[in-house]
Amino acid sequence: MESVTAINKKEHILEVKDFKVNIRTDEGIITAVRGIDFNIKKGETLGLVGESGCGKSLTSKAILGINEKICESLGNIFFDSNDYGLIDLVSLNPKGKDIRNIRGKEISMIFQEPMVSFSPMYTIGNQINECTRLHITKDKAKSKEISLEMMRKVGIANVEKRYNQYPHEFSGGMLQRALIAMALVCRPKLLLADEPTTALDVTIQAQILELMKELQRELGMSILFITHDLGTVAGMCDRVAVMYLGKIVEIAPVEEIYQNPKHPYTKGLIGSVHKIGNKKEERLFSIEGTVPLAMNLPPGCGFYERCEDRIEGLCNRAEVDLVSIGNEHEVSCFACDHEACKAFRAKVEAELDGNIGGN
Amino acid sequence: MAEDYILKVENLHKTFTSKKISVRAVTDVSFNIKKGETIGIVGESGCGKTTLGRCIVRGIEATEGKVIYKSLHGKEYDFLNIDKKTMKNIRKEIQMIFQDPYSSLNPRMTVLDIIKEPLRANFPKMSKNEMEERVKDIAAKVGLNTSYLMRYPHAFSGGQRQRVGIARALVLKPQIIVCDEAVSALDVSIQAQVINLLRDLQKEMQLTYIFISHDLSVVEHISDKVGVMYLGKMVEFANTEEMFKRPMHPYTEALLSAVPVADPSIKIERIALDGEIPNPANPPSGCYFHERCRYCISKCRTDVPEQEEISPGRFVACHRAKELDLRGFEYEE
Repeated sequence: MESVTAINKKEHILEVKDFKVNIRTDEGIITAVRGIDFNIKKGETLGLVGESGCGKSLTSKAILGINEKICESLGNIFFDSNDYGLIDLVSLNPKGKDIRNIRGKEISMIFQEPMVSFSPMYTIGNQINECTRLHITKDKAKSKEISLEMMRKVGIANVEKRYNQYPHEFSGGMLQRALIAMALVCRPKLLLADEPTTALDVTIQAQILELMKELQRELGMSILFITHDLGTVAGMCDRVAVMYLGKIVEIAPVEEIYQNPKHPYTKGLIGSVHKIGNKKEERLFSIEGTVPLAMNLPPGCGFYERCEDRIEGLCNRAEVDLVSIGNEHEVSCFACDHEACKAFRAKVEAELDGNIGGN
Repeated sequence: MAEDYILKVENLHKTFTSKKISVRAVTDVSFNIKKGETIGIVGESGCGKTTLGRCIVRGIEATEGKVIYKSLHGKEYDFLNIDKKTMKNIRKEIQMIFQDPYSSLNPRMTVLDIIKEPLRANFPKMSKNEMEERVKDIAAKVGLNTSYLMRYPHAFSGGQRQRVGIARALVLKPQIIVCDEAVSALDVSIQAQVINLLRDLQKEMQLTYIFISHDLSVVEHISDKVGVMYLGKMVEFANTEEMFKRPMHPYTEALLSAVPVADPSIKIERIALDGEIPNPANPPSGCYFHERCRYCISKCRTDVPEQEEISPGRFVACHRAKELDLRGFEYEE
């Protein structure tokens, strides 16, 4: 556990290092997350953006150790816990006592579909209460008081009555509020929000996002905000990591990523969202092709086939890595015109040539 | 010109009734569409936009009203009031694309059979070769590799499946296509591909689209005119740009302000709507929106606002439409 000391305890609440997820299937092992590094600072919101199948949900679930049995996590996820100090979440037994002490108490999660996140058999109050009774107090009356207070905080009206209602009596927006109450009732340090507003209407979505920001300010927690919607990211996040095919291709502060995107995939994603008020735009920019299957990936950059800036003989042969280009901005692309990327490219090219010479 | 239309919807009503309650899903909706236009229909879930689309293609029977379609030969038909045989003939000219490309294709049919089925149903005398020719034609047009036609839907990605859905709608050479959330289930980069495809096809085949969606930025991009629905009523109908620049119904204003903008430098002031859409089985009195409206006056609580033509082609159902100055989006010149 020597490397644990590497975490910057003052600043970071979570550090993910060379993290991979392997999925065992009948056809063989798929590496769905292919080595990612990122960290989350205290009190910040990090957006994790990508299309379906890029591994963003697998990453968030791995933090809590709730992936399916067929998924195997490799690498390290260091978390700065109150009770345990620095702890590597990957090394914990997913069924063990330790992770269960962290789950719901120090790290909790909001899922996409509020309707399937609650059991239809128990009242909302009962389900929110479960968390407080487990982690905070065994006293029933006290526990109920804490739950009611949190329900009030997330803007549920008439809480005494709502407490005893079942999920089907709630509308989608209200249920999402209840889900947030359930996630926050133990005042976690880190909240994982997996597409928390995708299933909601725009007006309700605006309400919920506002609520999340408010509660974050009040509780001082960090948020990992997972989404494919670049519109909500712009309004919610401090920094953004863009994932493609199991790798982070670019990570930067939110203004930087929208004003100065460097990776062709990021550029494509931002370009393919229509901006209201832009009349000149006859056609939307679109990235050609589709995401390749994660099985038997060819060597090199995963985006090679769809990339407009690809460099033949380099991008399809050598693995690219994130290179820091200043201002907390990191990008993983050989074609990027920044000095640091050029230097990295020269180094890799020299290595490639060296290999050929050696053979 | 009042007569210059391909489809005219007049006072359309749809009420679903069960033993105990009746729900008005669509109340008194009227609008015209010209040939080659795209009409966007927006609104929150449960506002009746899908029901409206289905009533237009007569997938469900409307309770009351007229849907008048002017066919290629200039003959007018009222969809809701013609016999089965004529309807079958006319239906070829108005087709639908569905939301979910995963559940709208039969997994046990090859893509070729899926696209061919409308032909088999409508042209039983057409020869097999001719049918396959037409299928291949259309498949190439929507960007499907024709060598993949013998495969089953599961072998295709979401974007490819949606192309199959589009090909199936186009194979009968329709005049009007109702797109019910046709791109909502797709990833952003694929969404852009499909939207571009729909626009290209529109130009090439002079198609008319009724584009139902909850995604306002997609609707703004693709539509010439937009209708905003709330609780089964069309509260505003106008040219896209006019409406987005200066909405005239308070609900439209709130809806526009809630759109997430993909640019962190723009900070828009959101208009928070209190509460949620009321239960359509038990709608509020007066204006359906008055409980959540920040401009509500006493008249709104009692009187139902009629749809008014404020300026040519611009319809609003609000008592205070003329006096309010509402905020929309700024357009780049």
